[in-house]
Amino acid sequence: MPALIEIKDLTKKFGHFTAVNAINFSIRQGEILGFLGPNGAGKTTTIKMINGLLKISSGQVLIKGLDARKNRREIKKITGYMSQKFSLYPLLTSLENIEFFGGISGLSRHNIQKKKEEIQPLIPRPILTQKIVDIPPGMKQKIALFVCLMTDPEIILLDEPTSGVDPEVRRNFWMEIYQLKKSGKTILVSTHNLDEVEYADRIIIIHRGNIILEGEPSELQARQGKDSIEALFKDAIINYDNQLSRTGGAECSD
Amino acid sequence: MRLFYLIKKEFIEIFRQKELLPLIFIAPIIQIIMLGYVVKTDIKNIPVEIINLTSNKIAARIINRINSTPLFRVKAISDQNKDTVELLKRGQVKAVIIFKDPPRQNPLNYPEIQISLDGIDSNTSLIAAGYFNGIIKKFLLDNLKKAGMHQPAMSKTLIRFNPTLESINYMGPGIVALLLTIISLFFTSISIVREKEQQTMDTLLISRLTPIEIYLGKAIPTSIIGLINMSLGIAAVMIWFRVPVRGNLLYLLLASIIFLSALLAYALLISVITSTQQQALFFAWFTMLTFMLLSGLFTPIENIPPGLRILADINPIRYLIKIIREIFLKGNGIEYFYKELLYLLAIASVTVTVSVINFKRLISK
Repeated sequence: MPALIEIKDLTKKFGHFTAVNAINFSIRQGEILGFLGPNGAGKTTTIKMINGLLKISSGQVLIKGLDARKNRREIKKITGYMSQKFSLYPLLTSLENIEFFGGISGLSRHNIQKKKEEIQPLIPRPILTQKIVDIPPGMKQKIALFVCLMTDPEIILLDEPTSGVDPEVRRNFWMEIYQLKKSGKTILVSTHNLDEVEYADRIIIIHRGNIILEGEPSELQARQGKDSIEALFKDAIINYDNQLSRTGGAECSD
Repeated sequence: MRLFYLIKKEFIEIFRQKELLPLIFIAPIIQIIMLGYVVKTDIKNIPVEIINLTSNKIAARIINRINSTPLFRVKAISDQNKDTVELLKRGQVKAVIIFKDPPRQNPLNYPEIQISLDGIDSNTSLIAAGYFNGIIKKFLLDNLKKAGMHQPAMSKTLIRFNPTLESINYMGPGIVALLLTIISLFFTSISIVREKEQQTMDTLLISRLTPIEIYLGKAIPTSIIGLINMSLGIAAVMIWFRVPVRGNLLYLLLASIIFLSALLAYALLISVITSTQQQALFFAWFTMLTFMLLSGLFTPIENIPPGLRILADINPIRYLIKIIREIFLKGNGIEYFYKELLYLLAIASVTVTVSVINFKRLISK
């Protein structure tokens, strides 16, 4: 599969502080890439540079060969983004949120109506007419994903989509993500829930703004001689920190 | 069309906050009526004590006049001498008027009159002194007339536009401008920062909305609410206080729209540079207070010291208040206040430019 997203020496600095330090990776078309790392590792900063929410300090993001800095409008059309807090309007109902996001995404009135009908079988009717502030996190997550997919984007960027929801909801969510992959979507998911890694085709572990491990989960486990992802993850972090303290390098986190 | 959805969303969010609705639409009317009474500078019923130490008939007639005017409220009349300083110290009265026997060399037999005033409230004291001198002058003129004599010099004062010198006619239009400022400034200053707090700003920015659409989507709903409030305020001062509106209100609409573009640009700037709603509200409060004090509403602009006058010169409320008074009381057309409109336009151009630049900086940090 060809690379749909290419990240080259991507760096983000906030003043003297380096949040993401010249990272390189690529995402192939139709794959799920798990972006793992502890809190403050640089996951959100990287995703926000990919979708144009943060200015790139140096390096390059290429999406379908287009430079993300110069082609924001085109890239907006092919990417969907779901943020950590689901980014729904708490005082609007689910249906109103759908109408609003459809409207600002440029969907026609007819298509918005179709989307409102499409969600009916997925969410119980009373929830749809309730204000977002009053509905459970699992439902919020479902609606946020629906909103993210409204324009049928080729690339889906999910920033910790499963934080704050219970294990069953998480499992169901990942089933949906898997279906999306099957339909040809390319997905980048950041998470710090290590048990979710089994769903990803490949994983990247980022720590202090640097990529410290990259590969297929089973292959990585075998290579490092670890029987679980948890062990692999912990080991990678500890090794990196030890190496850092030995070399006395000043590193970064966001 | 995208802008329509953003404006609709803003209105839904405002109208869903049920506890806020009375504050937006009812509180301002109550405020305007309250302020209308409170900021009245007309002084009536000044409490006075009269000490009459003479049996002079003229003194009795003057006391009668003081008694019958609503300007003074005579709390006591005594024929015993008292310590006037002690009376004023007690604070029961603001003035003590003492009538004494006429001086011996006075052929007209007019009593000697002394008025002592409590100078702590300098404004009231000066007005009380003016009222009292007015009563004496009127009394003397009436006496001259009765004696078939003319006064030595004639002067006739004609007061135009507000002949009854009702302070509400002067203050009311100013309060309307203030109302428009309060609502628009507070609402708009939290609009963008709220999006930042609930992380919905990111979604707006990666949507197909352009920065200008986001900017307008925030400014238009609060402008509409501000203008509705202003209309309610105008209706309140017209109906409740019977303040005359002699000019064309369409000019006022034009001035208000220019004023709002300046004010909302400033409010959006506050919203862009702050990170929490609390910070934004603090900024808005500080701004409103400064704008208000330097607006010419409570003190004439001419009384503001030169250093602060620069701030008054760039204060958009100052020009709106001037324009509202011109339209309300003088019935003037645009040819009389085009300069103020141009000043407003200049201020709006600068604030909108600065605000848009900062907004663009926010979205590309």
